[in-house]
Amino acid sequence: MSVRDLKGNGRWWALAGCLLWLAFTFFPLYWVTITSFKSPLGVVGGPTYLPFVDFEPTLTAWTELLSGQRGQFYNNFMASTIIGLSASVIATAVGSMAAYALVRFTFEVKLLTGVIFVVVAFGGYLLGRHVAGFGQATSLIYAFVAALALAIGSSRIRLPGPVLGNDDIVFWFVSQRMFPPIVAAFALFLMYTEMGKLGFKLVDTYTGLTFAYVAFSLPIVIWLMRDFFAALPIEVEEAAMVDNVPSWRIFFGIVVPMSKPGLIATFMITLAFVWNEFLFALFLTNSRWQTLPILVAGQNSQRGDEWWSISAAALVAIIPMVIMAGILSRLMRSGLLLGAIK
Amino acid sequence: MLRQRCGMTRNDPIKHFFIWPALLIVLVISIFPLIYSLTTSFMSLRLVPPIPPRFVGFGNYAELLQNPRFWHVAWTTTIIAFISVALQYVIGFSVALALNRNVPGEGLFRVSFLLPMLVAPVAVALIARQILNPTMGPLNELMTFFGFPNLPFLTQTRWAIGAIISVEVWQWTPFVMLMLLAGLQTLPDDVYEAAALENASSWQQFWGITFPMMLPISVAVVFIRLIESYKIIDTVFVMTGGGPGISTETLTLFAYQEGFKKFNLGYTSALSFLFLIVITVIGLVYLAILKPYLEKHK
Repeated sequence: MSVRDLKGNGRWWALAGCLLWLAFTFFPLYWVTITSFKSPLGVVGGPTYLPFVDFEPTLTAWTELLSGQRGQFYNNFMASTIIGLSASVIATAVGSMAAYALVRFTFEVKLLTGVIFVVVAFGGYLLGRHVAGFGQATSLIYAFVAALALAIGSSRIRLPGPVLGNDDIVFWFVSQRMFPPIVAAFALFLMYTEMGKLGFKLVDTYTGLTFAYVAFSLPIVIWLMRDFFAALPIEVEEAAMVDNVPSWRIFFGIVVPMSKPGLIATFMITLAFVWNEFLFALFLTNSRWQTLPILVAGQNSQRGDEWWSISAAALVAIIPMVIMAGILSRLMRSGLLLGAIK
Repeated sequence: MLRQRCGMTRNDPIKHFFIWPALLIVLVISIFPLIYSLTTSFMSLRLVPPIPPRFVGFGNYAELLQNPRFWHVAWTTTIIAFISVALQYVIGFSVALALNRNVPGEGLFRVSFLLPMLVAPVAVALIARQILNPTMGPLNELMTFFGFPNLPFLTQTRWAIGAIISVEVWQWTPFVMLMLLAGLQTLPDDVYEAAALENASSWQQFWGITFPMMLPISVAVVFIRLIESYKIIDTVFVMTGGGPGISTETLTLFAYQEGFKKFNLGYTSALSFLFLIVITVIGLVYLAILKPYLEKHK
């Protein structure tokens, strides 16, 4: 018996507390599950709790939902699945590469380079828009390219001022996550609309929403994967380097296979985030690529008190994540994610 | 780290290939729209009715700061964020302590406590609406049993805010719990053994050892949750829609209404930047207040 074990009464109080919290956690999930098997009459008649005991379960809600009688549910489900999977795959791939580079290579960016980027981007946009008379999207693109080119060019020459290292770059990536998403969602909506006027339709498209999600998952992917890569033993990579194996083969041939558990966990966390995301989908889609959370949120105003069908729809959004929770907790028990929390 | 010191790949140009995709995506998708919307925030720009854009300087910001609705909404968001995070922290810490002390069935608890985090907030809000229904919901039945029938859970300001807070607590306490549990498991056993020898009570051990040692991770967890709570929209959107009136409207929901219902683009851009400033200020104040404590316990 270690010092950590509780003795005597404390143990039972702790157990009682945990059970209480368990009941609080599970009741809503239990409720939505049984409600989806209730008949319309069973819902209106007041709360009932036990299937077969105080109400007779039926499959009405589920057959209605799955047969598509209740609007385009498959469409939303497919949109959610496709966008969720591709955004998480891209974000995990791109983010892990960046995280690896930030762990194993040194980067030095002059603060002044960043300033040049911001100033040129702002100035260029304002000039193009109000002096040269370009359209909004055109001046945005020109300003962006000019800012990027000047920033890269300026990093080649010696600039005075403080130098930002790897940690600062990581902080910059992670701080993206601190922004209230409404700032970005609304700005993206405006920018996508402008691009639409140029002929690149981005609002309510696969590309538009997927890339928005990739950008907003990257901070978390970089954060998680950086800790993971930093914990990997470097000796293997060094041995490969002595043999003159190129860096890209070290990464894809040695590091990626070694980090499979971390990559899987990161992928799943990203997927959960994208699957449940509401605000971006609300702003950036309107019909074809609307995701499940939008459909589920809409149930409320469309259906009123038809709880049996609302519950079934909500469960469709919940169940894939419940399955993931099971897999994730198994990974977690193997201590995989501890490194990410430090 | 080792390799950086021996300098073998310090100038390997491949590193640019690794980092640029991520950099470009973040620049294009999240930094660039910000530039666009920051310039928009200094203009008067409406889509409905369409009027030509006009430079108004800080006009939008001034108008917002004079709008009582903005202050009301900021206050509501603050109340929801602070109360729910406080509850999440207290409950999360208690359960994490219990789990850390090998409560019977600890493994099962751990798995099941993970669930709420992964459920879509809109779905949670829909379930909450059913449970809180004032005539047909199970909570009403319970309250009727105690002699309080048909309480206005979602249609009266205080109850509605309470309901939103409970949903937040339900959903995000597991996150706090998970992080704190991970922190608790890194605490060394010998300190507790020494304390046990001195006959320190559990209460003394908690305030003397556990709490101070957990302070850094607590600060980080509360910080993350506070920032995230300020962004709340989906739960409120479904549960009350901001009602009754605007009494449960949050900052994000307000921005959505202005931007998407009224298409008042300049105003909404200004609002979202004010929101960014509010969050930054709160974050900085929070860290400034706690810094002396953190240093004391280092």
